[in-house]
Amino acid sequence: MGKEPGAVATVGSGKRRGAIAEFLGSRWILIFLALEILFFGLKTEGFASLNSLQILLYYGVLVFLLAVAELFVVITGGIDLSVGYILGFASIVSIKIMEALKPLGLGEGATVLIGVCATLVVGLVPGLVNGWLVAYLKVPPFIATFSMLGVCHGVSELIINGVYAMGLPKLAASIGSGHFLYVAPGSGPALFSRPLVERGVEVLEVVPNIVVATAVVVAVFAFVLSRTRFGRHIYAIGGNVDAAIRAGVPVKRRVLGVYALSSFLASLAGVVYAFMYVSGKADAGASLLLDAIAAVVIGGASMFGGSGTVGRTMVGALIIAVLELGLRMSGTPTFDKYILVGVILIGAVIVERYMPAARK
Amino acid sequence: MADHIEAAGRRAGFLETRTGRALAANWAAFFLVLMFVVFSCLNPRFLSVANFQNVVHIQTLPFLLAAAETLVVITGGIDLSVGFVTGLASVGAAKLVQLQLAAGAEPGTAVGLACGAILLLSLLPGLINGLVITKFKVPPFIATMGMWGIANGLALKISTGYPMMGLPDWLTGIGNGYFVYVLPGEFVSFLGKPDWFPDSRIRELVRLLPYSLPFILAVLAILAFVLKRTRFGRHTYAIGGNVDAAIRSGVSVDRNLVAVYMISSFLSGLGGIFNVFQTGIGNYTTFNAQYEFFAVAAVVVGGASLAGGKGRIWSSAVGVLVLAFLENGLAISGVQPFYRYIAVGVLLVVAVVIDKIFPDLR
Amino acid sequence: MKKSFVAVLVVLLIAAVAAPSFAQAKIKVLFMPGVADPFYYTMEKGIKAAAAKAGVDLTVAEYPKAWGPENQVPILQAMVAKTKYDLLLIAPTSNEALKAPLKAIYDKGTEIITVDTFIGDGDYSKASDYSFPLSYIGSDNYLGGKQMAEQLAKMVGEKGKVYCQATNPDASSVQDRVKGFTAGVTEFPKMMLVGVEWCQDIQQKAQEQTLTALQINKDIVGIFGLNVFSAQGATQAVINAGLAGAVKMCLWDATLDNIANLKKGNADLVLAQKPGEMGSLAIEWGVKFLKDKKNVKVPKKVIPGFEFFTRQNVNDAAMQQFIYQ
Repeated sequence: MGKEPGAVATVGSGKRRGAIAEFLGSRWILIFLALEILFFGLKTEGFASLNSLQILLYYGVLVFLLAVAELFVVITGGIDLSVGYILGFASIVSIKIMEALKPLGLGEGATVLIGVCATLVVGLVPGLVNGWLVAYLKVPPFIATFSMLGVCHGVSELIINGVYAMGLPKLAASIGSGHFLYVAPGSGPALFSRPLVERGVEVLEVVPNIVVATAVVVAVFAFVLSRTRFGRHIYAIGGNVDAAIRAGVPVKRRVLGVYALSSFLASLAGVVYAFMYVSGKADAGASLLLDAIAAVVIGGASMFGGSGTVGRTMVGALIIAVLELGLRMSGTPTFDKYILVGVILIGAVIVERYMPAARK
Repeated sequence: MADHIEAAGRRAGFLETRTGRALAANWAAFFLVLMFVVFSCLNPRFLSVANFQNVVHIQTLPFLLAAAETLVVITGGIDLSVGFVTGLASVGAAKLVQLQLAAGAEPGTAVGLACGAILLLSLLPGLINGLVITKFKVPPFIATMGMWGIANGLALKISTGYPMMGLPDWLTGIGNGYFVYVLPGEFVSFLGKPDWFPDSRIRELVRLLPYSLPFILAVLAILAFVLKRTRFGRHTYAIGGNVDAAIRSGVSVDRNLVAVYMISSFLSGLGGIFNVFQTGIGNYTTFNAQYEFFAVAAVVVGGASLAGGKGRIWSSAVGVLVLAFLENGLAISGVQPFYRYIAVGVLLVVAVVIDKIFPDLR
Repeated sequence: MKKSFVAVLVVLLIAAVAAPSFAQAKIKVLFMPGVADPFYYTMEKGIKAAAAKAGVDLTVAEYPKAWGPENQVPILQAMVAKTKYDLLLIAPTSNEALKAPLKAIYDKGTEIITVDTFIGDGDYSKASDYSFPLSYIGSDNYLGGKQMAEQLAKMVGEKGKVYCQATNPDASSVQDRVKGFTAGVTEFPKMMLVGVEWCQDIQQKAQEQTLTALQINKDIVGIFGLNVFSAQGATQAVINAGLAGAVKMCLWDATLDNIANLKKGNADLVLAQKPGEMGSLAIEWGVKFLKDKKNVKVPKKVIPGFEFFTRQNVNDAAMQQFIYQ
């Protein structure tokens, strides 16, 4: 597997263009990202600032997590359409669990911790079902995850019954919107807790908590993908299933694992959503799915499986996020923005394809 | 992922028989019939000519988009832009009619010219998609996602975000018309209900054969013919099966692919125009309409594989019907909305699981 | 590759935090709409006109592509990151999730007016963690739903089965309309609400669901389509089913399409909210306050109310201003 009708074999037909071109080519998405940042930094007032960087990362967290989830699935040659609604489901479940724990009087810390862990455990279920359907019952991933999308949607709506999930413990909310470091004018730096100031005074906020947490999670999964046996098996399955079987890879278990992992990350994203937005709703992640898959593809992974890395996927996600933020801040009218994003994304990938192939 | 269905699914005996093989090859159709039987038993209201016609009539656009995606999916690609190209065509057609009417043209010619122009212009998004995918080797997902955004933005700009009005009234008569109107026991009328017919008795009127039905059957039949019996069709399957083998046997892959995407966007444009006839206005597609997802789902339910090489027009059409009647049947059987989301998901999976038990005969 | 990435990050981190802000004589206003749809485009027009009249500097933020804080808050934060606005007009897409971000913006010195939707329970007059906005200027969706039920009842002779085509269960304004409609129907013992379906802003789905509802209950006499897409889809379904005129249609939002259907006889009642007026009232009150904070008391709640279009008044000159265009 790994055929792409659009990318007909050009073996032998690429001319040697020199070391520089190859260097550029293999890092094209990174260069494009840098160019984007440079362009907006110079052209758009206010873009090149600590504030915008933090906005970019903070609000990009959900897509980053979903993109990693999709990456694992895509590498095996599958797709997971349900991550958006698993996110929504988890956002609801986490708040409901924490709400249910409140009367037990365990203290906010314990409540939040138990709530998060319980949600992550429950959040494995959709993935296990997806994985079982795909690996053991041979259901095409599109159908299995498309159906799971509907199931999660229905279950979520039935749980909340018309009202947002509300009542997140204050501790979780302050973690969600909190930063590591605050500097208020007049007083020194403060860690974790925001100093109270008068209205109108600006407080410098550095490094949002959830950005740090997400960075850690992404790094962990990057490690899993690139340096563990599990990761190697995933690539093998995506590359050539039969060869993988012959090499002793437990294909079915791995595929099951991959969908469970995807669901786990989507649930984590749902928990993060709850922390960020202090509420849970069924379609919380619906508009994020396309961006997550796009990030994976821009990052160079093939939809047929076998390739892609976490790092490149993150770059892909950032390319989209920077583009959106830059156009937004430069006041591009909404309708024009839709057109520009489409054109620029295609343009970015076109240029990449012109570079000599030095992709992983 | 490779299909190991042959090894895994073989059950000796029944599946070897003629009925068994027919069943396996047309499982989606059989499932559809099964659904009809079950839903009719659960609520006789389901089993009515009016219901069937209504569902089929509304699925006209999904049929067109599923046909479009069938072609694309056979080549191993995907076309995410179909939904928004539909909206663009709808808005574009309305705009052209508005401009002509403002210039004093006859409504009939205005509509005719607008349709012709938009149908021609609908080839353009597909041409761009195809070129970007073949000449520049951009993955279909990204290429069509880019077009998705472009078509959406253009449609919104042309319509400035509002529905486009001022079109001739008789458009909806064509879009929603039926060939035969019968009042059982009293009269039969063709091509329209009689003017003297009182509103109070309207529920007794039985309508037969919507205009949309022959229209969609014709389109599907043409496409099915093209896929099955022309060289173009054979080459399309070949590309999806094994690109290198296709090249070696002389298939001009690039030209074929561009044609496939052009047909896809043409069908979307056709859908947009039909939409104008049905609603009487030009309307952009909303962001979360996700027509493309339902179209691809229908194609996969119909038996195609996203890896390419398989798929048939009529199977995809059956896929559309399966999805539509699943919703319709469950609703008529009294399943409440949110439970329905769950039920549709579960039943869909069940259908496909059973399908996979059968050996792969396509 | 990692090194280049880090280098890029470092460059950004070194960059200055805040650009010097000039002392502007003009008041800076930001309009943050709820979602990309005709209601908010019409509101924007009202705001633009009022802003021009008041001589303020207006910026319109990007329209979120779908309803929800995850779509709106990133846009909002991006807009306020580089400029400090004196006045923010926003249609919050979540009663809960927008509380904290708006409070933070308020703490930085911006005055806030919520239009069309609200945070918390919309009552900013009592002390709470969401009482900082100047005002809520919008519709009373619950009341609107109830009034629709009452109007529909009058049209169907206070008896029969009715159906509600709704859109997104995760939007509080939608839920309020459904609750109001449901409560209104219960006031008429001979009327029955046979179903509420959710089309998620997809007109095609609204059409399918309504047709199915008509199939289940052949004797539905009235349908309430509670937003742009529900209304258009439901009307389409009724036309498809050949029941145009036989089923009374009550539609929410006076788009040109709904009005056209009213004129043609396919619909019977169209509720017009007043987005333009909400917008201009917001600008007027906001600017008034900013010019004289000590003495101006802004009412905490302003409800412009609704206008009902019927076949009798749809062509009246006085009514034309309420159509969304």
